[in-house]
Amino acid sequence: MQWTLTPMTNPLLSVENVAVSFRTAVGTTEAVKNVSYAVNKGETLAVVGESGSGKSVTARAIMGMLATNAIVGGDTRIIFDGDDLSTWSELELQRIRGKRISMIFQEPLTSLNPIYKIGEQVGEIIRVHRDISKADLKAEVIRLLTEVQLPDPERRYSQYPHEMSGGQRQRVMIAMALANNPDLLIADEPTTALDVTVQAEILSLIKMLQQKHNMAVILITHDLTVVSRVSDNVVVMRRGEVVERGGTSEVFQNPQHPYTKHLIASEPKGLPDPLDPHAPPVMEGKDVCVTFRLKSGGFFNPKTVDLKAVDHVSALVRKGETLGVVGESGSGKTTFAMSLIRLGVFQSGEITFQGDRIDRLSRKQLQPYRTRMQVVFQDPFSSLNPRMIIRQILEEGLIVNGNGSAKDRDRIIRQALDDVQMPHSALDRFPHEFSGGQRQRLAIARAIALEPEFILLDEPTSALDLSIQAQIIELLRDLRRKHGLSYMFISHDLKVVQALCHNVIVMQHGKVMEAGPTDQVLTNPSTDYTRRLVDAAFKVVA
Amino acid sequence: MTDVTPTHVTPPGAPVDFGMNAEAATGPSLSYWQLVRKRFRRNRYGMAGLIMSITIVLTALFAGFIAPYAVDTKDRAAIYSPPQTIRIFAEDGSLTAPFVLGFEEVMDPNTFEITFAPSFEKAVKLELFTHGPAYEFMGMEFTTHLFGGQDGAFVHLLGTDGLGRDVFSRMVYGARITLLMGFMVMGLACVIGTLVGVTSGYFGGRTDTIIQRVIEFVKSFPDLPLYLALVAVLPRNADPITTFIMFAGILVLLQWANLARELRGKVIAIRSVEFVRSAVAVGASDKRIILRHIIPNMSSHIIVWATYVLPEVILLESFLSFLGVGIQQPLVSWGVMLNAVRDFQSLAAAPWLLAPVGMIVLSVLAFNALGDGMRDAMDPYAND
Repeated sequence: MQWTLTPMTNPLLSVENVAVSFRTAVGTTEAVKNVSYAVNKGETLAVVGESGSGKSVTARAIMGMLATNAIVGGDTRIIFDGDDLSTWSELELQRIRGKRISMIFQEPLTSLNPIYKIGEQVGEIIRVHRDISKADLKAEVIRLLTEVQLPDPERRYSQYPHEMSGGQRQRVMIAMALANNPDLLIADEPTTALDVTVQAEILSLIKMLQQKHNMAVILITHDLTVVSRVSDNVVVMRRGEVVERGGTSEVFQNPQHPYTKHLIASEPKGLPDPLDPHAPPVMEGKDVCVTFRLKSGGFFNPKTVDLKAVDHVSALVRKGETLGVVGESGSGKTTFAMSLIRLGVFQSGEITFQGDRIDRLSRKQLQPYRTRMQVVFQDPFSSLNPRMIIRQILEEGLIVNGNGSAKDRDRIIRQALDDVQMPHSALDRFPHEFSGGQRQRLAIARAIALEPEFILLDEPTSALDLSIQAQIIELLRDLRRKHGLSYMFISHDLKVVQALCHNVIVMQHGKVMEAGPTDQVLTNPSTDYTRRLVDAAFKVVA
Repeated sequence: MTDVTPTHVTPPGAPVDFGMNAEAATGPSLSYWQLVRKRFRRNRYGMAGLIMSITIVLTALFAGFIAPYAVDTKDRAAIYSPPQTIRIFAEDGSLTAPFVLGFEEVMDPNTFEITFAPSFEKAVKLELFTHGPAYEFMGMEFTTHLFGGQDGAFVHLLGTDGLGRDVFSRMVYGARITLLMGFMVMGLACVIGTLVGVTSGYFGGRTDTIIQRVIEFVKSFPDLPLYLALVAVLPRNADPITTFIMFAGILVLLQWANLARELRGKVIAIRSVEFVRSAVAVGASDKRIILRHIIPNMSSHIIVWATYVLPEVILLESFLSFLGVGIQQPLVSWGVMLNAVRDFQSLAAAPWLLAPVGMIVLSVLAFNALGDGMRDAMDPYAND
């Protein structure tokens, strides 16, 4: 070993020269090349990198849980407590998985088996590795559920996963990971799928448990805020290689590699350009309501429950303004915005777009307005038709609205590509050849090719890596300046909202909790809910 | 890429993202279908199925050329004659041109049973590209056949049936009717199933409910009685072509519902995917969304379904024709040929009449292998 993180002779786990490649239809791709790192007992190592950097693949290689088409390099050594795991058989690995090394996955909604009760699932992990009586087992499971601070653990024991929220399920996952007092916990993006406020709670829980059990933790994440909050040491990975390593505070204060510098600098910054307060309104919604009717009760006793997804919400976007709509998942922010542009369910209220009432128009009558209001969706992987080339995707809106000749269309889409800083060579390629950030640029290009006045941005950055987020935000700012666009920006990330939005409305349970200029709402939140959101985004808690 | 300026001002044309996958962006641009082809070629079982399937289809297309005789050419000298083996060693053990042995009919004086004994005196030399019964191909008449006996002598590689007709020739011609039936049913069921399934899934609501009840109604038919009813309904002297079309119609009726139901579910999933909603947002009509967005994304599913339904139809056809309720004489299909051995006596006397079973098994295996290979190659989640 040519480096030492802490002057300790024997780290609990040290991975050396890990190399993994994957066989695919188009040849072999190297996912991880020559990665080495080590972690000691009682220490948290953060492995940071963007999607595709090989951070999860390395962790799976430790557990011997790689996909079947993976090829592990010959020099790979995984020394865990003195033994080289890379030479172990599947059977031997099974004995330490879940006992001495355990793992938490990203997606708490799918990592629990929906047909077993919580108690059975946690209990199984213990039973596999220990001889234990039934009564003791139940007591042990309840003790674990208490330890992960799950409210009312006795009742949770006999509940099914679907009866719990995402954060609670992640707590159950942590309880399962802790069941056999592991020496090493690998947490693969444990908070990415959770709401911001829940993220903070889960992180402090992991941190607390680590100190209590003196575990080693490998935390895989792309979120630098998470890294700075909980880790002792950090390894930065890019394209399958380690580009930088060191103590967390050192790396943050004095990054050496240009990529690390870039990552740290890509936290969204800056403030929106000042807004003309007398600009004409572009989009206005008044008292918009959307109610979903849920069926309940038995066949002979049918009942319906009305769920008010959007409850008398009003919003106004002026020309050149960016309005942020903030809230946790399930707060109704997307439902509201989609009904504003008449793309989703709309029930009652008034919608005025550039002086015209559009709330009662049919789909045909809306056609002339479609080019003037556009939408960019959250997931760039599903918003581009995989069977069309980029030219067809960008052209579609122009064709269906009969805009210009083939030559004009070509000029317009090339202009749109320039605007989103993508090369013209993209035109004849398929969406799957582009990365998430590039696809989101293409989705934006599709929207601006129609020269709209209003664009609804539905969490356009939340599916992207941090450094790409910053680029997309910069791009959106440029486009606003250039074309005088108005945006409605849906987000749960207040950092991004602060950088982009003039005004903000905060939603919870379908209602507006708070509305006003962004700086005012963020610096001086008047409701408890907003304060929690602000804390989760800006406060660095240990 | 060394520019890491956080402000990010990249001129158009320069690489942009840090998250960009280098191979993906610079490598050759492979479309979905190119990827599928590439993945399919690595699958040996699938490739074997493909080659076999192509061979069977070509055999059916060029049946007139490959079969030495016509469907109804009768060799009155050979009734229930057993298969003849191609030999290349003469009686004295020396190597000669390929030939077959004719049979000497011997009657057992006690049982009066006629047995066939191969005899070198009746040897027939085989020839390539011989002249034989005329057949039509693409509107033109030909008399050249792939092989045959010297000077027009009869050769029966798989023996003959009770009327002295060549089993091999009839089997080759039978591939035509059997495959025609298979492809016809497959094609029609695909078109109807796609139209109905996509309509049902895309429009939803009342349309969906009505279509789904119709599908359930269709699927609740007991199929065997339906086929038997067909025989009862058709007049005794009905044109065999009419029977053929009716038979195909009933098979289509029972098959389209499966595809329609499968597609409906897929369409429901895909219609709420964001690229479809983006198309709505730019103002695309329902017709355009269905034709440009939904159906292209269903195509792989439809193709795989089609390759699975083809062997199913082949099996059904032979089963029903064997029972005598499917295709009627004088049309020849594999099932019709098997109809000749439906009693034990003829089976014991002439087991070679079972030869079409071999073709049925072979073609079902081939098309299934092709379907399996296609399914694996088209799986969008596979990445190996």
